[in-house]
Amino acid sequence: MIPLLLSSGLVSGQEDGTRYLDGLERKYSGLKDYRVDVKVHVDMEGFKAPDMQGKLYLKTPDKMKVESKKVFLLPKEGGHFNPFMFKKEAFDTRLLEHITYDNQKAVKLKLLPKDLKKMKQGFVLILDIESYQIREFHTSSEEREVRGVIEYGRFKGFDLPTRIELHLDLQFKESFAFEMREFGQSLPRERRVTGKIEISYSNYKVNSGLSDEMFESPREGK
Amino acid sequence: MKLVWFETVKTFSRWRTYIGFSVIALIVIITEVVMRLSADEILYRMLRSLEKDFLISGNVLNGWFVTAFIMNSLHIHIPFLITLVAGDMVSSEATSGTVRLLLIRPPSRSRIISAKYITTLFYTAGLVLFLGLLCILLGLTLFGSGDLIIHHYGRFGVTYLSEGEIPLRMFFAFMAAIWSMMVVASIAFLLSTLVENSVGPIIGTMAVVVVFLVMGNFPLDFFRSLKPYLFTSYMTFWQRFLDDPIPWQEIGSSAAVLGLHAIVLFLIALGVYTRKDIKS
Repeated sequence: MIPLLLSSGLVSGQEDGTRYLDGLERKYSGLKDYRVDVKVHVDMEGFKAPDMQGKLYLKTPDKMKVESKKVFLLPKEGGHFNPFMFKKEAFDTRLLEHITYDNQKAVKLKLLPKDLKKMKQGFVLILDIESYQIREFHTSSEEREVRGVIEYGRFKGFDLPTRIELHLDLQFKESFAFEMREFGQSLPRERRVTGKIEISYSNYKVNSGLSDEMFESPREGK
Repeated sequence: MKLVWFETVKTFSRWRTYIGFSVIALIVIITEVVMRLSADEILYRMLRSLEKDFLISGNVLNGWFVTAFIMNSLHIHIPFLITLVAGDMVSSEATSGTVRLLLIRPPSRSRIISAKYITTLFYTAGLVLFLGLLCILLGLTLFGSGDLIIHHYGRFGVTYLSEGEIPLRMFFAFMAAIWSMMVVASIAFLLSTLVENSVGPIIGTMAVVVVFLVMGNFPLDFFRSLKPYLFTSYMTFWQRFLDDPIPWQEIGSSAAVLGLHAIVLFLIALGVYTRKDIKS
């Protein structure tokens, strides 16, 4: 009876999901780097901005850089796609459930970081296990909650995002320079803001051999 | 026009006229050089909240930001520099004993006072424009250009303005700042017609500005209810040109309130001056 229960999926929340991360890693094992043009559209409470454009450079496993002549803001959580950030060694991975997502077989995984000093928050991923695409992710902490939905295109044999839609709920503090606008007026210094950020990716150049040096330079312009 | 010209030449031939310009030059140069040297600290403090959630690229600490920053910091102090000249405009004639000589000449008293008032406004505009040009030119030289990220007036959050639209907005902002300072100049000018020394109008004007600012910003309901009736509540309307979208209606009403103040203060000064007894 007990073995039957264990195999029936009723306790699938306890099942190890590492093999799915393995599959993801295998799928992108040939991805060395990419550069892509990024367009960010912000629709957030308290943040008015025109669409921002920049270039994103990524070199696996963990080098990343953004560049823009104009001021450019890219969300840290979910603003760029790096399949190697979900390395199986870094997480305790639990399979929460098997689901169908866009008529594809998918799994919902819960990833808890093993080293809480390096990474403070875990993730919940919806991973399409037919194409090994991360379709949705969710992460939350006291300071922020981010949910992202990813759409893909195929570039040089790799599925890479063409659009990421982020839904954010952030704890936002105003900095001193912004507070000086009104003499003596006490503005709310800290509050939660919610909103949506849409990021479009175009003109991918995959595996063009980006050098390590280009990621070492300090952030330009600031 | 001739009278205005004479008054302008007279005003700009006095050394005290240049105190304001010198002080502004000194403050702006020191501030911008120190900001340039402390750029990392400033960036850390202004972006630490945003940087928790965003990767930021581009020239955030640019000449436009520095200009807005200095304008925010100085709009309390500029009135003092304006009163140095505006408060001396009429009373200096009494102090130097030239008032009788002036008033027995053919031009009417109303023409004389109008010429002095126009000169006062000219000085006020010159001082604010000098501040603006110095901030922008030095700022762009030291920090370069870029988009402007600034706090959204009176509300929580920030506004991002594209580099291309900033010069025009800054131009309007400085025009609005001149318009605001006209009221300060008008108070000092009125007080200058009432007394025979320059210290009284300077101290009196600053007292009015400071008391009104404190009353308007005191966090009590009673003082909050007074705020709409204090001209100082409208003096920062120049900042609204850096909001998105620009709240034209509010700008219009603030400009109208301040303009009305300036006109009324001038008319009182005109009335006082035309009835002034110069025999005693």
